[in-house]
Amino acid sequence: MCSLEISNLRVFFPTDDGLVKATNGVDLRIEGRENLGLIGESGSGKTVLGMAILRLLPRDARVEGMVTFNGQDLLSLEEDEMRRVRGKEIVMILQNPTSALNPALTVGSQIEEVLRLDEGLDRPSARRRVVELLKTVRIRYASKRAKEYPHQFSGGMRERAMIAMALASDPFLIIADEPTKGLDVTIKREILKLLKMVTETKSMLFITHDLASAAEICERIAVMYAGELLEVARTEDLLNDPLHPYSKVFLGSLPSRGLKPVRGTCPSLIDLPSGCKFHPRCDHATAICKREHPPMLKREDGRQVRCFLYA
Amino acid sequence: MLEAIDLEKRFSSGWMLKKKYAKAVDDISFRIDRGETFGLVGESGCGKTTAGKLALRLIEPTSGRVVFDGIDITRLKPKEMRRLRPRMQMIFQDPDASLDPRMKIERSIAEPLRLRGGLSSREIEGKVADLIEAAGLNPEHARRYPYQMSGGQNQRVVLARALASNPDFIVADEPTSGLDVSVQAQILNLMNDLKRDLKLTTMFITHDLEVARHMSDRMAVMYRGKILEMGKTEEIFSRPRHPYARLLIAPELEEGRDHQEAEINCKNGDFPGCVFYPRCPFAEDICIKKQPEMIGVDRDHQVLCHLV
Repeated sequence: MCSLEISNLRVFFPTDDGLVKATNGVDLRIEGRENLGLIGESGSGKTVLGMAILRLLPRDARVEGMVTFNGQDLLSLEEDEMRRVRGKEIVMILQNPTSALNPALTVGSQIEEVLRLDEGLDRPSARRRVVELLKTVRIRYASKRAKEYPHQFSGGMRERAMIAMALASDPFLIIADEPTKGLDVTIKREILKLLKMVTETKSMLFITHDLASAAEICERIAVMYAGELLEVARTEDLLNDPLHPYSKVFLGSLPSRGLKPVRGTCPSLIDLPSGCKFHPRCDHATAICKREHPPMLKREDGRQVRCFLYA
Repeated sequence: MLEAIDLEKRFSSGWMLKKKYAKAVDDISFRIDRGETFGLVGESGCGKTTAGKLALRLIEPTSGRVVFDGIDITRLKPKEMRRLRPRMQMIFQDPDASLDPRMKIERSIAEPLRLRGGLSSREIEGKVADLIEAAGLNPEHARRYPYQMSGGQNQRVVLARALASNPDFIVADEPTSGLDVSVQAQILNLMNDLKRDLKLTTMFITHDLEVARHMSDRMAVMYRGKILEMGKTEEIFSRPRHPYARLLIAPELEEGRDHQEAEINCKNGDFPGCVFYPRCPFAEDICIKKQPEMIGVDRDHQVLCHLV
């Protein structure tokens, strides 16, 4: 079971140029089995949010707020307890499988390591399990492939190997950060299909800038902009009837939806706009948007949107 | 405007007996009409960038010809080629790497104008200001350096610089692949406006099908150095014929079929047949034995497949 609750999460990075406000008060829940998509453009803070849950941020990051997972307050756990959560309960699939895999070890032995450390399996049974896992992620000739090194794998196969490794410790929650970035369209589709299959019994936080991918495998989608969530909706609601002006223009700018440009650029995380962070680019902005910061509104139909238009 | 005939580019690696060849572009022919945008679509490593560079003769073909506006540019001497260069420009994927980090934006854009000669510095200044405006930048951007600009803004600078030499033909190689969708929309719209206003002929290279659909009049689908399908963009999107094009464009038609690459037992994996054979769910004996020929399935719609 998975019960993740993030409340009022803030992450700041002190830099020479000023304080980078990467995450600005995020509230998010994943309850039971669910795939939640977190979409946003580059620099919107989505990766930082994923890293903050697992406390993988650099030491100088200032993290405030609360992250609770299955009754444990992750931000106050001791480091060794956190390590157990990381290996066993929540696993992360990183953006770049080439750098996430150790080039000097065979793919099989890297998955084996997880099984022996976290699951306490002996070597022969760990080896058998590795082959099973590689078969689960549809790698052909699994027992032969297990003995190969990452450079002998294609990009899509490396991603499959990463997924196999994530499944090795049978976690409750997978955080996948742009797992399909850089993959070709046909390969990407196969990886999405695979992720959908392996999350039939698990939950996933799927971080991406690609709405189409998120829509394919997530039941709900959260839209992130300048370190905040602007809208959280069921996938079909967001696709058919986006509420927030940013969600609307984001969808409209997709090539498949007419390629209508959004004016302006994403704000700097050091110097965020006052009030609603989207107001300088918003066609509906009024005086209040500039002055006051809109709260997340919970509508009667259960939809959540951070915009004064719906107040 | 531009015609490529039986173009081939081989890259070699190794030495003497161990020398190996890879065909990046394998005997492709296409034409681009004046004023049209020709999309070249394919996955990474399919040879689409190499094809774009060959079209501009930025690299020399192993064999084949490129005819630009009636001139066979593959036969031109370097000096004659240089004279033609301003008319043909390329825009690359990474705008930050395309600009000299030590040059202010205005100098980058002015460079082609200064090289052309015959313009006073005041004329150049005026033209640069016009180009900056045409590319949707603000006058104050002129005095900045590339690192002070966003990726989208730098891609506008690259566009302005390409337009400075007043080209007829532009090859754009994944011009928006590193940009966010909202910025991508800005750049693609700008390119469409410029194409219309300046009557540019464009070769648009992309891996993104939706972008190709939106930008191109005609398109070609490439795979492992070959063009597998070519024709009017809307026609290909509404009726893709090649199994690979169908897999790319209409995956729902291919649901349940196996496209994972099959291993083929032959030396070096070389076989004389169709490049898509190892992944093709419909493959028959002839497909591994014999190279298919381009077949016209409709007016201006060709497919490289034995089974069509």
